[in-house]
Amino acid sequence: MRQLCGVLLVMQQLCKNDGAFCKHKQKCSLKSLRRLIPFINPYRTQILVGFAAFFVARFFEISAFYLVSAGIDAIGEVVSSFQNGAETELSQPETFVDYLLRVLLIISTIVTRSDLKFTVGEITLGIVACVLMRFFFVMFARRAVRRASIGVSYDLRQRLYASVQKQGSDFFARMGVGDIMTRAIQDISLIQRLIAFGSFMFVIMIYAPLFAVSFMLGKSPSLTLLVLPFMPIIFIYAKHVAGQLAVTSREVQERLSSLASHTQENLSGIRTVQAQAQEESEIKRFWSTNNAYAKAFYAQARINSLMMAWMPFFASAAQLVIIIYGGHLVLTNELTVGDLVFFLYCLSMLLQPIRMAGMFVTIVQRSAVATDRLYEIYDAVPEIEDRPSHKTPDQIQGEFQLCNLSYTYPRTDVKVLKNISLTIRPGESLAIVGRIGSGKSTLLKLFTRLLDVSPGQLLIDGHDVRDYPLAQLRSQIAQVLQDPFLFGEPLRENISYDNPERDLDVIWDSAEAAALRDTILELPMQMETLVGERGVTLSGGQKQRATLARGLIRNAPVLILDDCFSSVDTETEEHILSRLKNMRRNKTTILVSHRVSTLRHSDRIVVMEEGEIVEIGSHEELLRLNGSYAELERAQTQGAKVSESAVSGGC
Amino acid sequence: MNEARSAGQPARDHAMFDAELSGAVLNVQLLSRLLKWLRPYSSKLYLSAVLILITSFLAVLMEVIISRVLVDYIIIGEPNSVMPDLRMIELTQWIEVQLGLDPLFAAGLLFFVVMTIFPVVGHYHRLTLISAIVQGLRDLRQDLFAHMETRPSSFYDKVPIGRIMTRVTNDIEALYEMLRGMGSLVGEFVPFFVALTIMLSTSVDLTLLLLLFVPVVGVATFFFRRATREIFRIVRNTVSELNQNLQENLSGMQVVQLSEREERNFEAYTAINKSNRRYEYQSINLGTVYGAFNDSLASIGLGIIIWYGGGAVVQDQMSLGGVILFTRFMNMLFTPVVMLGEQLNVLFRAMASGERIFQALDWDEQIHEPINPHTLPARLKGKVEFRNVSFAYSPDVPILKNVSVVIEPGQKLAIVGPTGSGKSTMVRLLGRFYDFDRGMIFLDDIDLNDLHSRDVRQRIGVVLQDFHIFSGTILDNIVLGNESISRQRAIEAARTVNADGFINRLPEGYDTPLVERGTNLSQGQRQLLAFARVLAADPEILVLDEATASIDTETELLIQDGLHKLMQGRTSILIAHRLQTIQEADRVLVLHGGEVKEFGTHQELLDLKGIYATLHELQFQDVSIDDKGNLPGHL
Repeated sequence: MRQLCGVLLVMQQLCKNDGAFCKHKQKCSLKSLRRLIPFINPYRTQILVGFAAFFVARFFEISAFYLVSAGIDAIGEVVSSFQNGAETELSQPETFVDYLLRVLLIISTIVTRSDLKFTVGEITLGIVACVLMRFFFVMFARRAVRRASIGVSYDLRQRLYASVQKQGSDFFARMGVGDIMTRAIQDISLIQRLIAFGSFMFVIMIYAPLFAVSFMLGKSPSLTLLVLPFMPIIFIYAKHVAGQLAVTSREVQERLSSLASHTQENLSGIRTVQAQAQEESEIKRFWSTNNAYAKAFYAQARINSLMMAWMPFFASAAQLVIIIYGGHLVLTNELTVGDLVFFLYCLSMLLQPIRMAGMFVTIVQRSAVATDRLYEIYDAVPEIEDRPSHKTPDQIQGEFQLCNLSYTYPRTDVKVLKNISLTIRPGESLAIVGRIGSGKSTLLKLFTRLLDVSPGQLLIDGHDVRDYPLAQLRSQIAQVLQDPFLFGEPLRENISYDNPERDLDVIWDSAEAAALRDTILELPMQMETLVGERGVTLSGGQKQRATLARGLIRNAPVLILDDCFSSVDTETEEHILSRLKNMRRNKTTILVSHRVSTLRHSDRIVVMEEGEIVEIGSHEELLRLNGSYAELERAQTQGAKVSESAVSGGC
Repeated sequence: MNEARSAGQPARDHAMFDAELSGAVLNVQLLSRLLKWLRPYSSKLYLSAVLILITSFLAVLMEVIISRVLVDYIIIGEPNSVMPDLRMIELTQWIEVQLGLDPLFAAGLLFFVVMTIFPVVGHYHRLTLISAIVQGLRDLRQDLFAHMETRPSSFYDKVPIGRIMTRVTNDIEALYEMLRGMGSLVGEFVPFFVALTIMLSTSVDLTLLLLLFVPVVGVATFFFRRATREIFRIVRNTVSELNQNLQENLSGMQVVQLSEREERNFEAYTAINKSNRRYEYQSINLGTVYGAFNDSLASIGLGIIIWYGGGAVVQDQMSLGGVILFTRFMNMLFTPVVMLGEQLNVLFRAMASGERIFQALDWDEQIHEPINPHTLPARLKGKVEFRNVSFAYSPDVPILKNVSVVIEPGQKLAIVGPTGSGKSTMVRLLGRFYDFDRGMIFLDDIDLNDLHSRDVRQRIGVVLQDFHIFSGTILDNIVLGNESISRQRAIEAARTVNADGFINRLPEGYDTPLVERGTNLSQGQRQLLAFARVLAADPEILVLDEATASIDTETELLIQDGLHKLMQGRTSILIAHRLQTIQEADRVLVLHGGEVKEFGTHQELLDLKGIYATLHELQFQDVSIDDKGNLPGHL
């Protein structure tokens, strides 16, 4: 593979663009492609065997044409001897073995360039034999290389999946699901194409000129030298056009995507458009986007068509040289008519790689970028490191000690948590309240190490949270997240997500506890109903209750509920909470809510503001404190005017 | 009158918009319909057809010069007069005489002329063809968009936007692929027939022998397609399964990690990845055989030409040049046949796309517009009356039952009720977004159904809960394409509803571009912008579906104040979620299960101790906090 990259380097230098920026980019692209080596290595033999098979196939291909020209000469000779009145003895081989031997002899003359003469029939058999051989070798070579490319993309995908699973929230904040998906779909398929077709083009670019030039030189060095200067001209032109096409195709892509986003935006706002009776002006507005796309498309097609005109023109110019000079050589008996035809064939073989060069360079460059993008994922260091100390107890009791906890999200300088100190007793129920952005969710994510504490300390039952095995931490602390996410699987599997083999009764029980039983009974396939994006659409409240059931089913020593009643109506919530109180007796429960009616059930309530704990105590204590909690309570139970309290009640 | 309307509006099955289509391989009717959009550019198409004939002829001519003039006339020196030379030998001789050139140079000159004209003609052939196709499809896309733009709300309720998107973008692209493919097929087949004519007049037997290959290619293609169709389908399915699995895992990664499902999910993914690889291998196995087979056919043809040609030349039926001519024509003979096989796939796909496009164009669902619409006075007084209005989106689920209410000019009505009680529906009917079954709505005592929906909507300013921000500048979003609104008036409107404060703080003020549906604005700022948009249009009646999202206190105050000004002098109908909004209304209407349950002032209804009092107790106390997401008392 090192060799392959070496040749790639040569290719790239051949195609080097002018600007220093591009040079830099190409150096990078070579370096990036090197990183594919570990992925290509397992398929090394397969690819090399494929390349060798391509080599043999090429030989048979040009041999077939060589024999065609020999056949033409043989016909010419028969005619002239016939005209001269001489009876030529056409030796007729009789048996199949005879034929086979003659065919082998014919092919050997191609290599040895001996001057043995054969009959037209023998040459025909030779051609057919060459074509058959070529068929098998081409088939074999393509299969080997393409299978390797599939193997590589399989491995790339496996690696990607394994990598993302280890990543924490900062990685996903940085990358975004859409971005990762693009990498998984487009970038991997680009690399697959590089291996399947790029290497195929590469082989053609090496073998075609190699065979064509060596065969031509054998026929007539002077004519070869006259034809060859056309090649760099055509190459330079092809490269020039490839550059232009790259620009215009980017333009077309941009226009197309703006057409798509224009349509999307318009349709999602269709109610607004119709409400303002602006359909006509929107249709007019669409025209300009639509027309711009059509124009860009036409501009690209025009350049493409120009190329399709110039390339044959250059080729014909080279043909013209063969006609005039080659014709002259034939008339002076230095070449045969067959040789002339053979030269015309070699010319088209020479042109093949030049046509491909532009495409090849594009594929190489794009897959280099793709490789880099994939490695951004592969190289990402998991934020959360699992390094259990083995000194921690097997069973978490549910005591939490928070000492001077602070947290700042990466790449920001806002402290979301500031010096939080708090002790949560085992079996306690604790509620947290605070406005959006006050740090509640961030705090809770530290408990299950979705985020890592720094600086400060979080002790669970007296041991640092980081000393616990991640698996234990997450199985004994059941956390229900704010965003109710359901997978595209049956509801049963969504509720019993941590362990799909649970008894159905247990699953029903937790559904019951989350007040979801009646909802499930109404679903078409009850517990087996497919939910998620492609399944039955559940309402926000139903989704929240399903994720709640997912948390409850684990019956963990610690339960954390992050604002998961916001879309559940008050009555149902009351119902769930009262059940929860029984279920969670003597077990630690931490919940976030905005509703006083929810909060008041808890042993203690923590009021957070801008990353700090401002009040803490039981419902009654906080009311007596007459601070912001009391204010909230008044606002909620007495229906005070929001604006008034905001204006007059400021602290 | 109402009966007639409801009879003329049968319940539609919107699933049909998505239905599997006829699946016809070659839908002639569809093609002829498509021609309608190409007709305006037919002169270009005709020109293109003439040019392709010329360029094909020139391509053949070049080969004739090589084989007949160079080989037969110049080298062998014995032109076989029986075989066609398209008078090229005569022409060469004429050039020799006229210019006093050596025969070789005369032939070279002739070749040069042809090879120069050939690419030029070919280029203009392609340009005229593409230009006609691109313009025709651009017009089709425009018509499709215009058609979709004017479909009523009932349509958009049921049909996901993604489906329409696909038609406007992908399906039109597929048609382009098809037309372009058909164009290049023609571009290959015309030379095929020109070459065939020459070949037939050279040697009928050899030509027929070579033509035997055509059905072979056809049969091979047929079997290959049949064998691979199923595998390709499975490969596509496994690929989309892979993507779905990954996408879902990424979206729910925290849940996956919290549930310790990494291992298990990785196994599931590996299984899909493996099956994808297995089917990819299968498709490669088939594809490489077919590809290599197609590549080999032309070369086998060469062998046949040499074998047959040898005999024919000896018997003086063909010249050596004729044999060479045949070898040179082999590609012209096989390329189009192989290409036809490849193009079939594109054609199948495009047929389905075409059907989808025309199905969308034929979708005639629309709001019933009066034949002789009433014209409204320049300024409405603003009286709104619902009289016994009943309505259902789908026949068996009534949403509004016999709703009657009168709103006097300038009055503010707050509609309250639980989700699904029909609040939004009342407002939608008023905006003529739906045809309704029974009852009447009056605008200044004119039956709404005697008015054109456009007229109605111009008089009613609607602020939806999910008001839509378009990409463009702030000003664009206030004006929203309405040419009668001047910049001055737009700014004035923004100032009135307290929006100019934040707008002026933006880098480019009113000309600041909004990215991605205004995500660079806060929820509250977007709400203010929506107010400005309505005020600038200056409707007589205001309809507001109050937002329930979190807004900070400061902006909340601005919004309340802006709303206050917006309602001034306008009949206002408010779907209220905030207590303050309800208390400011002149009347409160309590809607429950599609029926008017209570109606009166805030205080009257509280005293009634009915639904409103309960709702007030339960809901509004919380909502005011949930809405704001913060604690009162902290500024």
